[in-house]
Amino acid sequence: MNRLDALRGSTPQKPHDARAIAALAANPGCTRRALLDGAGIDKDAAARHLGFPAPFGQSPFAITRGNAFESLVKADGCAELLRMLRELLGLPIAEVAYHDVENVGAHLRHAHTRALFDRAARDGDDAGTVYDHPLLSLRIAGHTAYLEPDVVAFQLGGRFHIVEIKSFAVIDGQADPAAVAAAARQAAVYVLALRRMLAELGHDPLRVAHDVVLVCPENFANRPVATLVDVRRQLGVLERQLTRMTALDRLLDGLPEELTFDLMPGEDGLPTRPAAELADALRRATARYAPDCLSTCDLCFFCRDEARQEGATDLLGRHVRDELGGVGSVGEALGLADGTRAPGEGQEEIARLLRNAERLRRECLA
Amino acid sequence: MSDRLDELERRIDGLRAGVRRAMRAKDPATARGLRAELRAAERAWDALVTEDAAPGTAAGTDGAPAAVPGPRTGGRGRPRGGRLVTVREQVHQALTLLGAPAQPRLVAAVSEALLDGALRGAQLTSLRRDEERSFVSSPYGRPYYLCAALTDRLSPARGLLTVSTWPLERRVVGPLSPRVDFLTCAMAVARHLGADPVAALDPRALRLLARMARNIPGATDADLGPPDPDRVAGAAAHELAVHAGRDTRDRAELAGRATSQLDDRARLFGASTLITVARDTVAGDTVTTSGTAGGTATRGRR
Repeated sequence: MNRLDALRGSTPQKPHDARAIAALAANPGCTRRALLDGAGIDKDAAARHLGFPAPFGQSPFAITRGNAFESLVKADGCAELLRMLRELLGLPIAEVAYHDVENVGAHLRHAHTRALFDRAARDGDDAGTVYDHPLLSLRIAGHTAYLEPDVVAFQLGGRFHIVEIKSFAVIDGQADPAAVAAAARQAAVYVLALRRMLAELGHDPLRVAHDVVLVCPENFANRPVATLVDVRRQLGVLERQLTRMTALDRLLDGLPEELTFDLMPGEDGLPTRPAAELADALRRATARYAPDCLSTCDLCFFCRDEARQEGATDLLGRHVRDELGGVGSVGEALGLADGTRAPGEGQEEIARLLRNAERLRRECLA
Repeated sequence: MSDRLDELERRIDGLRAGVRRAMRAKDPATARGLRAELRAAERAWDALVTEDAAPGTAAGTDGAPAAVPGPRTGGRGRPRGGRLVTVREQVHQALTLLGAPAQPRLVAAVSEALLDGALRGAQLTSLRRDEERSFVSSPYGRPYYLCAALTDRLSPARGLLTVSTWPLERRVVGPLSPRVDFLTCAMAVARHLGADPVAALDPRALRLLARMARNIPGATDADLGPPDPDRVAGAAAHELAVHAGRDTRDRAELAGRATSQLDDRARLFGASTLITVARDTVAGDTVTTSGTAGGTATRGRR
């Protein structure tokens, strides 16, 4: 891991949170992101220093709304949540025990969470049903990240379910697919962390269900409604990405020894490294830009700018990029289409398609 | 009747002058209080004038014209909260009605819907701390204190209010207690509305009952009509019977521990967490590795 520390240099490490870990799963093919995250580099600070600040962070109104909705769901001993779990999972009436892990001091919460879950997994039905404010941990590239799921519910069948409370509305059974996907990715992080904890404690990790309970406001009212979301796919991507991060050596081998992404913060914490130098260093690690990056990665504007300068097909989205396999840039694709450029080896098929498309376009416009 | 009108007019004039003085003295708190009184007096004046104009229609419904039927109370003659009753007293009334530890949100809802109070959640945030301070400076100087519920570590439970005169068993929180307390509160609200059919017509009270009934199995039909208080109380009692045995055991054990381990102040306001941690090692809880989960914990969803 020394190489990673060298990459980060003198900048303090940035701890991961569930959102950041979930975002890893959003673009698994990006080497730049894998390296930066693996080394725990503050991408936001880097982007700001480079002159490409990302308009990130939730709006304070969204946070207030989220908190208000969460406290509504958890009010009166999780009364609303228990109703939904009874309807959705068939939770028996007797199963209402509620444990607030936050009752212990902050420094003991993780240990207390472990103790409670150990007991729950051992004693079975009798130990508890709803665990509020647990604190889970996940090892990421040699560093521990602490995560705080909304609630963890324990079901009679001996399986734990993660409950994720989100304040976007489910209208007539439909919700914003992007928001649901983000919630599922985030919940998958919790499922994985809980599974690893159970495995460490010597229990069967599969006792954590891959179905998470997503609680959202229904229609235009504030009444919560619960749905089961299968996160197996997100779990798969996440696990692959995490193993990839622990196997960063392979990625590091392709990089020059002296490469560093250090911001060289001065006395006042502001970066002193010339922005151009940092940009050059970052360009040594290949990025895999996609328009989705704009909602998940702090460096998105830097990578987009780079992709624009190269005229890369990445700009047009993953779907188009995959269709144009083997064609690197927009200029090349246009050249192949109007025949000013001879197709290289292996490009004959795509060149034929592009020329056909160009002919059709001209016929339409004529 | 016209004597009362004259008296009210004098009072209104006096209050207007008071508001003006308070504004000039840049004392918004006093001004706000006076304004509220002024508005009440004006409403009373309005009511008396209309009563004078149409005698026999509104007068004599409850025989006491002094209890002014405001637009919200609908002439039920209940005490108007907010102005005359302190926040502390309003909370006490609501908690006494509920008879179980409750979150400020529920206390405010009950106070508004059933006792005509005007509590806002923000008013309750510093309440417990103020009460503790008052208790420390002169112990048992007040007939009751609004204090904390105690968790299984005997520390104060987050966001639960109780009354010091309750038995300790009612003030501790075991694993099942949040649910038991919720059902107890629902039963109390339902019984209150069942016993007072006039109060049961208040839409705010019905909304509160409906919200609680929704989360109790068998308390409501599928239709959207207003819930029946008796049925809600019955359904809550039915579920309560399932949990009561184990919860009573848990609570008795916790109360016993609290009595033997805590001093007067901690018994009311909860022990500070570090003390309880030290004592918990005696109780055999697994609190061994304390250094691992450091302050780097980040809230995942922010």
